[in-house]
Amino acid sequence: MSDKPFFVGYLPAPGGLRGCLVLAGALLMLGMAAAGFALGVAQDDPGEGAFRFDYGRQTVTGVVELTPYPLIHVTEGNDRIKAGETFMMSAGGKSGVDGRAAPLAGQVAQVSGVMLERGDLYMLQLRGGRNGIRAAEGSGAVPEPQDLGRWRLAGEICDGKCLSGAMRPGRGLAHKACANLCLLGDVPPVFVSTQPVEGSEFLLITGPDGTALPEAAYDYVAQYVTVEGQVRRHGSLLVFAMDPDTLALAP
Amino acid sequence: MSVKYIPVQWNPNKWYYDGIMLVGVAAFLWVFLYITPDALGHERPINPQIHNARAFGACAFTMLTVILCIGPLARLDHRFLPLLYNRRHFGVMTAFVAATHAGYILDWYFAFSSRSPVQGLLEANTSYGQIAGFPFEILGVFALICLTLLAATSHDFWLKFLTPPVWKRLHYLIYAAYAAVVGHVVLGILQDDRGIGVNLLFIGGAALVCVLHLAAWWQGRAEPMGIAATGWVQVAPVDAFREGFAKITKLPDGDRVAVFLHEGQLSAIANACAHQNGPLGEGKIVDCLVTCPWHGFQYDVRNGQSPAPFTEKVPTYLVKVEGGAVFVNPAANPPGTAVAPVPLEKGAT
Repeated sequence: MSDKPFFVGYLPAPGGLRGCLVLAGALLMLGMAAAGFALGVAQDDPGEGAFRFDYGRQTVTGVVELTPYPLIHVTEGNDRIKAGETFMMSAGGKSGVDGRAAPLAGQVAQVSGVMLERGDLYMLQLRGGRNGIRAAEGSGAVPEPQDLGRWRLAGEICDGKCLSGAMRPGRGLAHKACANLCLLGDVPPVFVSTQPVEGSEFLLITGPDGTALPEAAYDYVAQYVTVEGQVRRHGSLLVFAMDPDTLALAP
Repeated sequence: MSVKYIPVQWNPNKWYYDGIMLVGVAAFLWVFLYITPDALGHERPINPQIHNARAFGACAFTMLTVILCIGPLARLDHRFLPLLYNRRHFGVMTAFVAATHAGYILDWYFAFSSRSPVQGLLEANTSYGQIAGFPFEILGVFALICLTLLAATSHDFWLKFLTPPVWKRLHYLIYAAYAAVVGHVVLGILQDDRGIGVNLLFIGGAALVCVLHLAAWWQGRAEPMGIAATGWVQVAPVDAFREGFAKITKLPDGDRVAVFLHEGQLSAIANACAHQNGPLGEGKIVDCLVTCPWHGFQYDVRNGQSPAPFTEKVPTYLVKVEGGAVFVNPAANPPGTAVAPVPLEKGAT
């Protein structure tokens, strides 16, 4: 041991140790860069969902339905959103539009905002106040829901906005708290089914009998679950009224 | 060593240390933030805020892993001891990087809500009774509080104010922080990231820390004590001593004592440095003074006192040579007590 160089911090490094220190410093710097690369390239693809600012502002007219989450059944569309389509809405941030839409339930309204799109799923983030949604001239009625029966589905409960592309990635357990916060703010929840239901893997999910997502479901958000409930087609959108007693983690 | 408190006692080695550390951190962040997006080749990129949060979070984890590897590495191979010298700056930097990660998370995942970000953080997910979906963010909060506390008390003022034993115990919180960070990662991002690479890197880093600590513990475990009928503790045969260095032994009360050979005479002092409990017995006598291998604090081996104007003191012990072996009396003298050195006659009986 007596032959080994001895380092004292406030003295110049002994000659026999300098090579080691230079090597250790170089390895630390290169190692940090390599770790940054290895961890950075290990991230999963967040998918195709995104805000579609490139589409420009979308303004359409339709009939408001409360499920209780508000939907628009489009009566006068545009190049992007066609008449006959049905879509969900949210406000800016982690908020829904329940308060603004409720007084217009069953009436014709004009809605305006920016689209979020993920495959077949899309949603409109409305502009603020009456610029986002207001009563409009015209006629129309909420289409009669088509009952598709009781289903047992496996998949994930997400908040519809982040899933559609507001967050990239916008689903999964690492995103659970954000999803819960969105749902607490009345953003419409969406069930992502592992198997398509009547051709759609995305369903608006509600509580039974026209209630909002039950509190019991929040513990299961972002997990792989199985749940039973009634599936109904509201316009072009599937609505899944879950039975909270059947909610369970999938094996 | 200092007789007054200043923010940082800079010297060339500290400049080099901090420079290398900053370049390493900058390299990690630059590569993660600006190189990997192109390498990922996603059709639509990860949100910049999330990408930033991940970069700083991964960097903090890596830094913490490196910091926790330095200690056992230095015990396993003394050539790593210089990495200990300015490790506190590494820790403070880690706290800043971790705080930046937390800032991005709060300003993105928990922003844009009617609740304040902190309220959202605490209220959004309360599924504490389950593993999948556990609010892993709270583990990150705990780790950040620990790192902040450690960074805030890293200065020698706090060491003196709290006393070294209390300070040392407080700074063992680094292990609780690391455990919390591992839980934060395992219950968070690793639940979603399907890539085996990220799992291997995170879990491999944590495993490396565990293995190195176990190896250092295994190597550093004390030899069985030889206790004479008189109660004196055998340290080593006289032939084992080398000029300027010490042999260390463990006393019945768990303390360690370092017996140095200096100018042909034996003197014993406590093995724990008064500064940060560094292992004095693994140091060397430089300019007639025992020099701690961690931060260079020095003591006169004959009385356990730092040279004036410094005031640090460590306990001393009585030494004797008997039957070809060196013994110490396990009863420590008060710190700074002068003890006459004992001549070492190799081959003495």
